[in-house]
Amino acid sequence: MPRKVEITSLSKWFGELEALKQIDVAVEQGEFIAVVGPSGCGKTTFLRMVAGLEPATSGTILIDGQPLRGPGNNRGFVFQNDSLLPWRTVLSNALIGPEVAGSVGPVERQRTLELLKLVGLSGFEDYYPRQLSGGMRQRVNLARALAIDPDVLLMDEPFASLDAQTREIMQTELLRIWEQGHKTVLFVTHQIDEAVFLSDRVLVFARRPGRLQENIEIKLPRPRSLALKRTPEFIAYVDRIWTMIEHDVRTAVLDEHV
Amino acid sequence: MFDRVRQNYMAGTLSVVGGLLFWELVSRLLVANALFLAAPSQIVYAIYQLTITGEMGRHVAISSIEFALGYVIAAVIGIAFGFGMASNARFKQALQPWISGFYATPTIALAPLFILWLGIGIWSKVLVVIFLVLFPVTINTEAGLRTTSERLIEMLKSFGASRSQIFFKVSLPSALPFILAGLKLGIGRGLIGVVVAELFGSRAGLGRLISQSADAFNMPELFAGVIVLAVAGIAMTAGFGWLEKRLVPWTKD
Repeated sequence: MPRKVEITSLSKWFGELEALKQIDVAVEQGEFIAVVGPSGCGKTTFLRMVAGLEPATSGTILIDGQPLRGPGNNRGFVFQNDSLLPWRTVLSNALIGPEVAGSVGPVERQRTLELLKLVGLSGFEDYYPRQLSGGMRQRVNLARALAIDPDVLLMDEPFASLDAQTREIMQTELLRIWEQGHKTVLFVTHQIDEAVFLSDRVLVFARRPGRLQENIEIKLPRPRSLALKRTPEFIAYVDRIWTMIEHDVRTAVLDEHV
Repeated sequence: MFDRVRQNYMAGTLSVVGGLLFWELVSRLLVANALFLAAPSQIVYAIYQLTITGEMGRHVAISSIEFALGYVIAAVIGIAFGFGMASNARFKQALQPWISGFYATPTIALAPLFILWLGIGIWSKVLVVIFLVLFPVTINTEAGLRTTSERLIEMLKSFGASRSQIFFKVSLPSALPFILAGLKLGIGRGLIGVVVAELFGSRAGLGRLISQSADAFNMPELFAGVIVLAVAGIAMTAGFGWLEKRLVPWTKD
């Protein structure tokens, strides 16, 4: 059995800038992987490359042993900003994946309706994005990615624009949904506690050049509830990761203010 | 909330009624010379007279045909040009100076020339309307397609969408409000085009009605022509507002 995702010496250059250097990552089926790092560490670029939205300069990405060729329906992307089409209803937005693939039948429609129910949006199928709150729009964003029934879910800081309370609710909701399907997830975030809370493993990225600094297994019991965030074990993980990237974060902050 | 809306409507109505009353009083008591001003009551009477004799109908029909032909032709060509410019950089480069130039030029001044070329009939006016409507439509269509959100395009790409899928599912709907705004701008410009071109030389039409009334110092009929034009402009713009609410409801709350 090949691994779900196998990434070997993946590198990315933007002109003269080395964005990612020699990334090696292997992901098992059903694993929840979080990627954290300071801004400019290339974590989003990394995710976009796995999505097929950004070509690699060198190295390989295999999914189920198959080399990656552009975007495909075995991966669903959840965007940082919801990227919903304002002229479409919730249901029609969620159905865009099957629609692009040319298969919107009763089966897809039914499955998407169930997904909307799963993300807590039943009754809102005919609403327009502007009528929804930020949290609800991100739920549609998630349902849309799940509607193509992908093997791998790629999430790019999906809760970054939400307020703190909504974000915590969405984290538990995401875990609840994930427990039901156990899809493989790559979750990019700049929030260390979010990464620890959600994942089986945290990939810590460093910057200049963007590279994989550490691979930390999170041995916390599942299913997890928000109370976990107050346990010493949880806090120890967060502290450990924070210490790792603190220096990088400080230089990144200084860079941004110059 | 609802009360405020109603009060706003009241303000509008009061302002119009008050203005008309003021106008009526000024023209009856102050100016009191039918050569210089006509009272609203006289204008209404003139419209009534012109309508029952069939004269108004004839003028309106001619102007409408000129406007409609010019407008539709300009809309079709303008949208096509906009699409062409958005999808082909070289085409855009070739067309851009002409579009900007013509948009800024008072092309209406070319009306006498068009009348020389195409005669005194409707086609010279149609051409004027085309020239006035074409450019805002082209510019807006191109701008609408160009400003399509990269995020939305990226989203569709992540599902493996083809270029034509991206065009029809994202670019076109997001450009639609811009295209409609261009068409809306074209209404006023087109109406002005029809009338001014008719003033330069015509056998019938609202512009013709206005110029022959002016020659005869018949102020009520002159104003009758102007009022009918104004009402047509307001009605068409309002109709467009309604259409926008139907077609692009997401742009307004």
